[in-house]
Amino acid sequence: MATHKAFTQEWLDAWKQKIAGSQEYKEIAKEWEGSVGLICNADPSKNIPNPVYLFTDYWHGDVRDFLVCDETKVQTAKFIMTGDYARWKQVAKKELDATKALMQGKLKLKGDLTYVVRNVKTINKVIDLLTEVQTVWPDDV
Amino acid sequence: MAYDDSLSFVYFGPTKIIFGSGSSTGELESEMSALGCSRAVVVTDQGIIKAGLSEKIIKTLGEKCVGVFSDVPQDTGIDVVNRGAAFAREKGADIIISIGGGSVIDTAKCICILLTEGGSLANYEGIQLLTRPQTPHIVIPTTAGTGSEVTWIAVVYDKDKGQKILIVESYNAPRAAILDPQLTLGLPPLLTASTGMDAMTHAIEAMTSMQREPIADAMALHAIRLLSDYLPVCIKDGGNIRARGQVQMAATMAGWAFGNAMVGLVHAMAHSIGAVARVPHGVSCGIMLPYCMDYNIGDGEPETIAIYAAIAQALGVSKRDDEPGSAAMAAVQEIFDLLRKIGHPLKLSELGVTEEDIIKAADLSIADGAIVNNIRYVTGKDEVLEIYRRAL
Repeated sequence: MATHKAFTQEWLDAWKQKIAGSQEYKEIAKEWEGSVGLICNADPSKNIPNPVYLFTDYWHGDVRDFLVCDETKVQTAKFIMTGDYARWKQVAKKELDATKALMQGKLKLKGDLTYVVRNVKTINKVIDLLTEVQTVWPDDV
Repeated sequence: MAYDDSLSFVYFGPTKIIFGSGSSTGELESEMSALGCSRAVVVTDQGIIKAGLSEKIIKTLGEKCVGVFSDVPQDTGIDVVNRGAAFAREKGADIIISIGGGSVIDTAKCICILLTEGGSLANYEGIQLLTRPQTPHIVIPTTAGTGSEVTWIAVVYDKDKGQKILIVESYNAPRAAILDPQLTLGLPPLLTASTGMDAMTHAIEAMTSMQREPIADAMALHAIRLLSDYLPVCIKDGGNIRARGQVQMAATMAGWAFGNAMVGLVHAMAHSIGAVARVPHGVSCGIMLPYCMDYNIGDGEPETIAIYAAIAQALGVSKRDDEPGSAAMAAVQEIFDLLRKIGHPLKLSELGVTEEDIIKAADLSIADGAIVNNIRYVTGKDEVLEIYRRAL
């Protein structure tokens, strides 16, 4: 199976493909509307010299744009989640539950919290599918 | 009731508590000074003013009170917050003092954000978006139930969106809460009972949340003990300041418990029936609590049963060595008995709720954020509807 460097366009494409191919996701996410911006704060000690901005867009079980982008684009997302690299890595590897990370202030969320919490199954499924992408993390290189 | 190896939690409870009869007048000035503040705007509502609860406090502040904003309705909104912030800014406030219940306290929390950050409140919808401490806020609660004096969550209605928005900011936790039981002496019996059951629900649901943790559990268990012992005394003798104080402390501890561990199915169902049939929050929590406990125990999970057995001990209806299953069921029975003892409604139909209402509410409940924290996984709306039917 191909491996992909985290936070690259290829990695996002592989993640998008996993989501798009999941019938279970389509069913779980049929109510979800809107884009999610992900911001990973810079951490030069972990080989993240600058902040990383990702734009991911979901619509009633379908997936639309998945882009490595700039700050301006990420700010257009309906929800924006921000966190340090170490937190994102923990979430992506399912070592840290995303809802718990939000509640404990380990990740920040801009947007309607209640919407996110009531669609937590969608979020968990998206993360489950990310764990299926063979990822090379910047600090593991 | 042990915790598994994967336990990982953050406990947060930065609010200083000043408790004592007469503390709302006796301690306020020194707390304000300790925070380096000298220009307070008091946020309250017309009901509090009419009841005469704020008069002495404002008088005590003298010139340190630069204004009173009393235009807070029962369910606050962004427009109210904007008006309050403009008023406080105009008066040059360097601290906000809220005197009241949940709506007043939430309004004050949001005013603090606008005073420090400016802009529109809608920009702060979400979790932990702030990066610095906000305008100091001292809370003086006049009810004993919501726990808002120690939580960092504010709920306000956004007219443009047609929904309530949540602002969760640890930088905006009140700096101090002054708990003066004298301020709760005038609460009528039904309000005492329903706010008390709101606190009891916070405590029990915090313990049966997927995010439960040991410090929140400790707070919750002691809150349950105090509420169980003293809520009936408050109903019987509303002027009993000792009992009022115990219940007030319990509500604050339950606030810390659920502020950290969250709430579950009871709140999901209470929010929903409140939205559909306008049942007051505390009352709907009280009615739904034993039915949801029974539902959770029905799962048969040993861990769940052990938690309810510990709750039974705190309620005083079980001993440490009792068989856990029987103890858990004794806890449910005791909540029913407590409701009867304090004259709390037992059925939703007493509030005029109909079958049609509960069908609508079951739909809403399943989409309520609180349900995801419930210790028993709720599989669908039919399960919720069945619980509502039992409580109807």
